[in-house]
Amino acid sequence: MSQPDPAEVSNETEALRAKADRLAAQLAEEHKMAELGRLLAGIVHEINSPIGSILSNNHVITRSLELVKKALASGDRASIEKANRQVETCLSLASIDKIACERISEVVRGLKTFVRVDSSERRKTDLNEQIENTLKLTQGEFKGRIEVETDFGELPPVECHASMLSQVFLNILVNAGQAIEGQGRITVRTRPEGDGVHISIADTGRGIKPEDRPKIFAGGFTTKPVGVGTGLGLSLSKKIVEETHGGSIDFESEVGVGTTFHIRIPVEQKKNTAD
Amino acid sequence: MNQKALVVIVDDEEMVITSVRAYLELETEFEIHGFTEPEQAVKHMENNLVDIAVSDYLMPRMSGIQFLTRAKQIQPEASRVLLTGHADKQSAIQAINEVGLYQYVEKPWENAQLLLIIQNGIERSKLLRELREKVSELDTAHSSLKNVQKRLLQAFL
Repeated sequence: MSQPDPAEVSNETEALRAKADRLAAQLAEEHKMAELGRLLAGIVHEINSPIGSILSNNHVITRSLELVKKALASGDRASIEKANRQVETCLSLASIDKIACERISEVVRGLKTFVRVDSSERRKTDLNEQIENTLKLTQGEFKGRIEVETDFGELPPVECHASMLSQVFLNILVNAGQAIEGQGRITVRTRPEGDGVHISIADTGRGIKPEDRPKIFAGGFTTKPVGVGTGLGLSLSKKIVEETHGGSIDFESEVGVGTTFHIRIPVEQKKNTAD
Repeated sequence: MNQKALVVIVDDEEMVITSVRAYLELETEFEIHGFTEPEQAVKHMENNLVDIAVSDYLMPRMSGIQFLTRAKQIQPEASRVLLTGHADKQSAIQAINEVGLYQYVEKPWENAQLLLIIQNGIERSKLLRELREKVSELDTAHSSLKNVQKRLLQAFL
C-alpha cells in the first residue's frame, strides 16, 4: 500500500477543523437562544405595561378628539371650555406615549445587541452602553427581587465582537440572579485598567462550593436542575473572552456571601488573536 | 349609586396609572387614587373607604399579591383586581387562591373590558357592604325583640 499523500491528509485535517469550528459556533448560537428564551417571560412583562398604556391612551385621545370636534361645531362656550381641558389631557397622554415607546425601544435595543448580523466583524464599542442594554433584558426577570447597582467608570472604546460580549455579560448576570435566593443585589462595576478594561459582576448569592470551583469553566458542568442550565454558559464565556478577545475571566466566591466575576478585555486586539 | 365610587390603582409604572386614570375620568365619575408605592396604598386604605383596588403584580418591595392580601385584611368588602403583564398562569392561580381575587386582567388590557370589571367590582363591594349593614340591623332588631320578649315574659310571670 502506498503512503497517504501528505497534501491530502492536511486537506482533510483542514476540513475537519473547519467543521469543528462551525459546530462550535452553532452550539454557541443555540446556547444564546436558549438563554434568551428563558428571559422571555420577563421581557414580555417589561413590554406589556407600555403597550397597555399606549393602547389605552390612543382610545382616550380618539374619544376626546371626537368630543372636542362636537364642542367646536356647537360653538357653545361651556363646551369649548371643557374641550380645552380635554385637549390638555390629550397632550399629557401624548407625552406618556413617547415615554412608553422609548421604553419599548430600549428593550428592543437590548435584544438587538444579541442578534447583530455583522457579528463576525470587530467594532469599537462602548462597553458601558453594551452592559446597559443587556441589563434591560434581565430587568423583568429581576424586578421586585434583585436590585441591580451599576458603577460605570469612563471606558475607552473597546475593539470587540459586541454581541458575543453581550452574551458573556448576560450569562454571568443570569447566573448571578439564579444564585440569589429571595432578595439580593447585583453590582456591575467597570473601570479602565492598563491597556484594557475591567468589568466586575458581583452578586450576594449562595456562592460556589470549593469543590465545584475548579470545574465551573468546564463544558457540561452544571449544578442547576435539568431545563434550567445547559452547563455550557461559562465555558462559552471563557472561550469568547480568552480565545476571541485575548482577555481573561476569573472569579472569587465565598459560600453564603456571594460571587464576583472579573472580566478583562484589552482595548485593542492583537492581529494574531484567533477569531 | 348616590356616592362617588372610590377606586385605588397601584402600579410601579406611573404611565399605567396615568392612562387608566385618564380613561376612567373620561368615562366615569369615579374618584381615583393612584399609587406607585403599594405601602402608600395600604396607608390610604387604612384611613379611607375604598370600593375597588386594582394592582400590578410585579413591583419592587411589595408584590401585587402581598398588597392585595393586606387590602383584604383592612377592607374585606373592597373588590380586588390583579392587572398584570406577567405571562404566566401560575401567578394568576396563586392570586385567586390566596387573596380571593375578584378578577384577573392581563396587560395589555382593553379599556372597555377593564371598565366593565371595575364597574361590576364596585357594585359587588357596595352590595357586600349593604348586606353587612342589613345583617347588623337585623342583629340589632333581633336583640331588641328578644328584650321585649323577655320583658313581656317577666310581666306575665
